[in-house]
Amino acid sequence: MRGSTVDLPLTLGLFRRMLVEEFRLHTSLFGRRRFVTLPVFVALVVMGGAWLLGLTGTAMGTVVAGVHLLVFFFGLQVGTAGLIGRDAMRDLLGGTTLLVFSARTLPVSRRRLLGVFLLKDVAYYFVFFLSPIVAGFVPLVLVGELPAGELGLLWLTVTATFALGAATSLTLAGVATRSRLILLGVLAGVLAALVLLPGELVALTPYGTYLDPSPVGVIAGFVPLLGLLVAGPLAFQPATGGGGARRVGRDRFDQLSSLGDGTTVRPLLEVARSSGSVWKVVFSLGLLFFVAALLLERVLVVTGIEPSLGIAFGTLLALGTFTTYNWVTQLDDPREYLRYPVAMDRVFAGKRRAFFALSLPTGLAYLAVAALWFPRAELLLGVVVFPLVSVYVYGVTAYLTGLSADELLFDTSLFALYGFALVVVAVPLLVAALAYHAAPRQAVAVALGLSVLAAVVGVLLSRRVGARWEEKLRAGE
Amino acid sequence: MAAIETTGLTKRYGDLLALSGLELSVERGELYGLLGPNGSGKTTTIEILTGQRTPTAGEVSVLGFDPVERPLSVREAVGILPEREDPPSFLTPREYLRFVGDVREIDDIQSRIAEWADRLEFAGVLDTLASDLSEGERQRVMLAQVFIDEPELVFIDEPLVNLDPLMQAEVKALLSEYCSAGNTLFLSTHFMEVAEALCTRVGIIADGSLVLERDPRTFDGDELLETFASEVDGR
Repeated sequence: MRGSTVDLPLTLGLFRRMLVEEFRLHTSLFGRRRFVTLPVFVALVVMGGAWLLGLTGTAMGTVVAGVHLLVFFFGLQVGTAGLIGRDAMRDLLGGTTLLVFSARTLPVSRRRLLGVFLLKDVAYYFVFFLSPIVAGFVPLVLVGELPAGELGLLWLTVTATFALGAATSLTLAGVATRSRLILLGVLAGVLAALVLLPGELVALTPYGTYLDPSPVGVIAGFVPLLGLLVAGPLAFQPATGGGGARRVGRDRFDQLSSLGDGTTVRPLLEVARSSGSVWKVVFSLGLLFFVAALLLERVLVVTGIEPSLGIAFGTLLALGTFTTYNWVTQLDDPREYLRYPVAMDRVFAGKRRAFFALSLPTGLAYLAVAALWFPRAELLLGVVVFPLVSVYVYGVTAYLTGLSADELLFDTSLFALYGFALVVVAVPLLVAALAYHAAPRQAVAVALGLSVLAAVVGVLLSRRVGARWEEKLRAGE
Repeated sequence: MAAIETTGLTKRYGDLLALSGLELSVERGELYGLLGPNGSGKTTTIEILTGQRTPTAGEVSVLGFDPVERPLSVREAVGILPEREDPPSFLTPREYLRFVGDVREIDDIQSRIAEWADRLEFAGVLDTLASDLSEGERQRVMLAQVFIDEPELVFIDEPLVNLDPLMQAEVKALLSEYCSAGNTLFLSTHFMEVAEALCTRVGIIADGSLVLERDPRTFDGDELLETFASEVDGR
């Protein structure tokens, strides 16, 4: 098998073909024009975001740190794509198959395919996301907010941070194929380092290189990344088939039936059994909670304004439930449901129940966690705002994306529309949160009124989702 | 009343004409095989007949229902197995069939699952994740979901794909028994031998139109294959 030795022409050939494959996949799904305008849109969003943060007095260093953090988590998410397996990918893409799954038919090892897939993803996202993100900082260089020399460094470290995220998820998944116990040990070690030695841990990332671009900083920031890029594919142990058939308890379906019928139970089982299990829901909302906590603290430090924590946490956590919607629809081929005697209304109702069964307890748990540090009375508003705004997020997401929420990332006009729909609700709520200590009664009234209104809009959209998507799917859109 | 009736059925995808005035009539109790090369319109025909797609023009009736206006009524009465369709990767066959039972509102689904798992010989893997089943086992599960609600009419795209010879014989017997009970079967296939072995009538489709219909048992030797080649190549 050629995968066992270094074979540069083979690797480069695979790399080039995977790039072409990725481009064709996205342009065939979303249309060439909508897809290629995406980098421009991303640059504009970053530009606008950086400008708005500047208005709030947020330091440039905080913005740069935030961009590295978001890009790292984006890389983590992208890195799992090659690992969900050929069969699961077929659930998602129907007859489409990808080169990364061709180890069974080509004399190329799964490890080589995964390694090249990872590099391809880095190159691909470098062009379509990472470079536009950095381009969004150009105006800040022009107005003197960011030194021109740092732009090149930012470009390098943002790209490397994305690679770090993708390589980390690949390595963790690789370790998981060998031993769950070792995986738990690795995760516990990283968590401990994050809590006990956060500065040292950051120095071992490309963001550390951004902070300290000396030769020592470069070595410290890039060596772990290179190690993970090699370790990820090496750690991965492909399933050998034969004797590996996973059996599950026959009553799992019944145990979940109290939450709804098969249209609810199926997405719940799929979330629980796919990569990351239900922990991916906890993790993605936890990330948002963590970022929200940091931002709220910065607002207090920088502006002296004490925002309403309940309104702010409730709003931001609700916005984060978009990821939960993505998980409950992740493995769907929407056309499959057209083959059963079931209205799409009922399919979406099942998705809605699964969405709330996962997101509500998780979001409320984070509000409870927040109560350990912040005044409890203030967080009570979040218990009201969070579920109401989540209803809106569900309605908007289902209405605009149907059962293919991840398409948002590659369709410029849809991305813009979706972003606008969320901003329309989120910005007034966050303004109400900021105004809380100046005018508490009015802020609470506005926040509650807006949340109820948003929930009503969410319910109205939810009612139209089934008919809308049934019509679109039957027309072949 | 015919089980399936189409008049001037046309489907256009942008510039591509997938079906061009298709005229089709299948009687109840028939085992009808639609033969055609890739891209000839077989899949689109099944999708329109089962209410999964709307036609650009033409009329269609399935078991007396219009699948354009009443797709759910049609899907309640029929079973559908598209080509290359697997059970969901992260469900077991038992769970997948429970899901099918829920959306079809079948009361005694547990006993039917046991019955069909025995009949199609996958009882031993009922609680194994679908991603860990062999291709043949997945195909058997998919066949079970087609018949589990005892539909009057079944649409199957390539019924014998991925099955071993013994199982192929079992499935052929199952399909013949199903039709002899007065039900109707609509097959779509590339394979002449499948059509010859199973069907009471075959239709050859090319470029979205039906070009020939005949009882395959009236062909001698490779005559069906030769007829197919001449009808398809001649267009």
